[in-house]
Amino acid sequence: MFCILIALYIISKDRKEQQTMNTMNDKEKIPPVKFLHYKKGDLIVKQGDYGISIYKVIKGKVQIFNESGDKEIDINTLGPGGVIGEMNFLDRALEARFSSARALEDSELEAWHPAGLADEYEQMPYIIRHIANQTLKRLIRMNNLTAQLTDQVEEAKKAAQEEPAPARRNFYRKGVILDCVYRPVDSPSKARLEGLIKDISLSGMGLDIRTKNALKFSHKPGAKFHIETVLPNGKKIDFTAKIISVIDDRTPGKLFLGMVFDELADGARKSLGFFLMPT
Amino acid sequence: MTIDGLVYGYVANEETYPDKAVIIEEGSKGDWVYVILKGSAKVRKRTRKGVVTLDTLSEGDIFGEMVLLETGQELRSASVVAADGPVRLGVLDSERLVKDYGTLSSQLRALMRSLIRRLKETTDSVCNAVVENAERVHSLKLDQVLPSEPDKT
Repeated sequence: MFCILIALYIISKDRKEQQTMNTMNDKEKIPPVKFLHYKKGDLIVKQGDYGISIYKVIKGKVQIFNESGDKEIDINTLGPGGVIGEMNFLDRALEARFSSARALEDSELEAWHPAGLADEYEQMPYIIRHIANQTLKRLIRMNNLTAQLTDQVEEAKKAAQEEPAPARRNFYRKGVILDCVYRPVDSPSKARLEGLIKDISLSGMGLDIRTKNALKFSHKPGAKFHIETVLPNGKKIDFTAKIISVIDDRTPGKLFLGMVFDELADGARKSLGFFLMPT
Repeated sequence: MTIDGLVYGYVANEETYPDKAVIIEEGSKGDWVYVILKGSAKVRKRTRKGVVTLDTLSEGDIFGEMVLLETGQELRSASVVAADGPVRLGVLDSERLVKDYGTLSSQLRALMRSLIRRLKETTDSVCNAVVENAERVHSLKLDQVLPSEPDKT
């Protein structure tokens, strides 16, 4: 009986030692945690590279970014406690690094070999693993969406730069042909000259006149006229405008005057504004 | 996706929400974690230009876990709304979930926290990109559900 007990004790002791040895062997196979130092600007992980280590930021700041063509898409910045490489650990199918990581300042990181966590991961409560996998899937989708949407915006920006800038126009101008009567502001004459308003905006207008009108009064830049017209909507307006350019019209015997409003009463401005509203 | 038996084991209570009912309100406090037993729900997030619909959840999907597993986060990061008819939810046993989470080593917990935080930050980036996209490219509308499987770039 005593012999049996001794034999059982020896077997049990051997098993314990064997178990201890096995644990030690397993631990020996797993590389120990390493502490790594990176200088500002150093690349820690490159997107697309094969790598399985998991890094934890101990000190400093690390930028996570994706590379798309020749540009970098900023994903986020990690501070102490932040982890890099968790996606590769959780999804073994992701053999290549999903993002790049760069030290934004002198940083200290802890590198773990995933083998140290693999067993624990396999044994962790099912629901936590389920949540981890679900979060990973959502993260991969969001990462892809960010890249896709950023690409589209970049392309739109590039296309906008390539397109010639449209001619700048300060005021919306409407093409019209309106009969008008006008007279020089500084003349005591009650003369009523006739003209055709072509193009009108809230800042000025073009006036088509017969050359013979210019024989009676000065039609040089700076000359001011009092003008009366009726808008197509029936509103009668009058205002004062100044000549800023005089061009020979294509039709012989005619001049085209570029004019800016000198005095446009509120009522006339309102009627004109209403008429100019794009339809 | 159907509800997993092992996940179902954590269901402490069942609730049914009518179509369009708000299950979780973005910015509110709360730590219930849900699993969809039947039906579907939409995940929505506010942006400066309006609400963006980020995702459609279906049977078996768990939501609301971020507040529970990410320390320091108290408020709900997005809204979840019942979609396409009533949705039946399982309310998970939070106490058991937290207890299970607590059994993980500090390394695995750091890994989980990092994953959740990164999802939150990336979701914010997507919202910004959607707003910019809607303004510049017009290929997306804010209320349209984002593609579930975007082209990989």
